[in-house]
Amino acid sequence: MTRRNAPAATAAVLIALPACVGAAYSFLAAIGLAGPGARGFDLGPLVRVLTAWDIWRGAAWTVTTASVATVVASVLAALVAVSVRGDRLARLFAVLPLAVPHIAAALAALLMFGQSGFLSRLGFAMGVVSRPDEFPALVYDRAGASLIVAFAWKELPYLTLTALAVLATRTDELHDVARTLGATARQTFLRVTWPLLWRGMAPAALAAFAFLIGQYEMPSLLAPSDPMALSLVTYERSVDPNILRRGEAHVLSLMALAIALGVVIAHTRLRAASEPSST
Amino acid sequence: MTARHRSWLTAALAIWALAPIALLLVRALVPSWRYPLLIPDSPALGVLWSADGRRLASAFGTSVALACLTGPVSAVLGFVIARGVARAGTSTRAFATAAALFPVIAPPIALGVGLQVVALQARVSGTLGGVWLAHLVPATGYLTLFAIGVLTAFDVSIEDEARTLGASRWQVLSRVTVPMLGPRLIEGIVLGGLVSWGQLAVSLVIGGGLVRTLPVELLALVRSGNDQHGALAALLLTLPPALALGVLQLGTRRTGAAL
Repeated sequence: MTRRNAPAATAAVLIALPACVGAAYSFLAAIGLAGPGARGFDLGPLVRVLTAWDIWRGAAWTVTTASVATVVASVLAALVAVSVRGDRLARLFAVLPLAVPHIAAALAALLMFGQSGFLSRLGFAMGVVSRPDEFPALVYDRAGASLIVAFAWKELPYLTLTALAVLATRTDELHDVARTLGATARQTFLRVTWPLLWRGMAPAALAAFAFLIGQYEMPSLLAPSDPMALSLVTYERSVDPNILRRGEAHVLSLMALAIALGVVIAHTRLRAASEPSST
Repeated sequence: MTARHRSWLTAALAIWALAPIALLLVRALVPSWRYPLLIPDSPALGVLWSADGRRLASAFGTSVALACLTGPVSAVLGFVIARGVARAGTSTRAFATAAALFPVIAPPIALGVGLQVVALQARVSGTLGGVWLAHLVPATGYLTLFAIGVLTAFDVSIEDEARTLGASRWQVLSRVTVPMLGPRLIEGIVLGGLVSWGQLAVSLVIGGGLVRTLPVELLALVRSGNDQHGALAALLLTLPPALALGVLQLGTRRTGAAL
């Protein structure tokens, strides 16, 4: 290692250290060697988590809702960025949800989509429903409808800002060249703007996806109890009155951290691939 | 896209962004909102002086204290770490950036459960200090990523010139580096404070329900069916980030930079 790189390597270790120490403790707690109720080497929590059908269903549900929300938010962000590039007011509205913390946004979604929420009242005023239970269940539902909308609402600003940055730095020159060579507006969008936008946005979309998988605030107010989101099961197990079950929370944490680590590696590679020099 | 289409899109975006905030505002002002009323009964501000109102004020104070402590400390740590990273070779920089990304992307609940065991061993679980230390982990990750971006574009030759002219390390830091990075440092402090401000999962796990931050109180209020106080808490939570965003918008308009 060169002298120039030594501080950076030390710094990298320092930043990741608390998370790594936490992960190491979680590992030891998952196999019964640390934490409350530790009684020596025990693979019970690991086996119980890995063989629990409910956990796998919850994991699949978590990944599905996060994936759908990421795709919806990414497509909307690309459309908004392309459409409102120079419009300051529209851009302000697009980034405004950035200021609303997740738990506050989740409460707003609850008030909006609940069966006695604002949309249901609007339906009543328009004569579409006559009782709250006639309004479709969009909260605590297995489809995760309100959760997906709330996720997309919160991620749209971040992805829009990314899309705007990509458009500002990478597309203008190529756009002009394509138009000069006779491409129509549609061809320019499909063959120049969209591919560049997609590649530039991919790392941000991946980061948003990883963030949504680990989200606790919004599922705690909007998600159903069956299947249960991974973050909710993890918290439930971590405060379980039966101290012996807390090891399962550590197994679930390790699973979540492994997913996060995989995303970090994929993000780093995608980002390197989408650098301007390589496009 | 025609001007008319653009106006429609702006109007749709306005509804998309403002409707949830307006709903929170209305709900915070009315004690009850009977179904199927579209417009609620008259507002009542007595909510602010009730027992739950005082609980909210206390939680607000705790969250402000945590944000004020986390912002500056994470900014200093982030900039110090990023300084080493910004001068490194490409591969080491990529490795360090990935290391900073890990605590940012790692699910807070997973991070919290791991850190909980550390906090229990260190006897800081359930204390304000323990929650603050736990908030520092993701905040420092965010700030390191932010500072790497800032310092990669920073011209270090000015520091070298000052050293050549006889300035000590401290003089270079206090008279050259900090004044040049001043606005970015302030942005970093605000960002670090905001990362702490919105934390729920880590506060719940490390605080064990004893450290009542505003997000923790909001969750408890909504789960107990107290939507009015919950909405008030949500608005209190939204206010500082909205102000920060407004200041940032104003700054970018003045400097001509894009937000």
